[in-house]
Amino acid sequence: MSLKTALTAATVGALLVAGATLAQQPAPNPLDNIPDKMPNDIPYGTPISLDHAQAAIAAAVAESKKRGWKLNVAVVDSGANLVAFARQDGAQLASIAISEHKARAAVKYRRETKALEGGVQSGLNYLLTLDDVIASRGGIPLMQDGKMIGAIGCSGGTGSQDEVVCKAGAATVK
Amino acid sequence: MNNKPCLTLEDCKKIGAAAEAEARKNKWNVTIAILDDGGHMLWLVRMDGATPFNAQVAIEKGRSAAVSRRTTKNWEDRVSAGRNALLNMPVLPIQGGVPIMVGAECVGAVGVSGVQSHEDEQIANAGIASLGIKS
Repeated sequence: MSLKTALTAATVGALLVAGATLAQQPAPNPLDNIPDKMPNDIPYGTPISLDHAQAAIAAAVAESKKRGWKLNVAVVDSGANLVAFARQDGAQLASIAISEHKARAAVKYRRETKALEGGVQSGLNYLLTLDDVIASRGGIPLMQDGKMIGAIGCSGGTGSQDEVVCKAGAATVK
Repeated sequence: MNNKPCLTLEDCKKIGAAAEAEARKNKWNVTIAILDDGGHMLWLVRMDGATPFNAQVAIEKGRSAAVSRRTTKNWEDRVSAGRNALLNMPVLPIQGGVPIMVGAECVGAVGVSGVQSHEDEQIANAGIASLGIKS
């Protein structure tokens, strides 16, 4: 037996053994699990008013300014359409679109964008193939009486910085 | 090296408040967008009752005015006069976008959408006037 043939035979043998092992104990796929209840069943409310949106932005910008940060802050309504926006002096340009994207994704997916980030981080790469996903924290739904009236998105710093500022804005809506 | 003035967030708040007041005075529900000299958004307000469509158009009018350093009415007038080739330019040739000029320098623009085009421009002008820039 030549060296090459021996190696091939060994490889095929190893594959067969591995295949047999897999056949005996199929790894369970967590995505096959079928929950009884609808997840994230949050109702969409009436679109956020401009007054509410501007109050949220003012609080977010104040928090950012207090910490010496330079961010972009966007608020969208319950239809994911832009209602108000502010860019702090010196904030980076890419974050104009990113802040709006985070707010939009928070409304469309009815959850904080941190959840999307966490999903991708934990290996659920398929999330990145879903429409209009942004897997980065800093997008938070704005809730009133159990209904989602819009969302706020912040961008320009690290995700963690964006989120702190976002929370300050979201806290103004109750 | 040349120096040029630059809009601050405080300037935007001032322009935005004055423009919004002008719209409210007339009971007009509009979107007001303020952009920097590169056509990048600095400030946006969509008043209650203004449509998502208005928000997109206001940004586009403002961007057009900012990067071309002229009003979108100027573009509209030239198209109306028969210069159809301008429709192929990367701007929105509809009145309601006004550049913010400081001397010979363009520092940005205001775009408004929601009512008739000349009323949109009236709102944008009211916002810019609040800066008290002498031309």
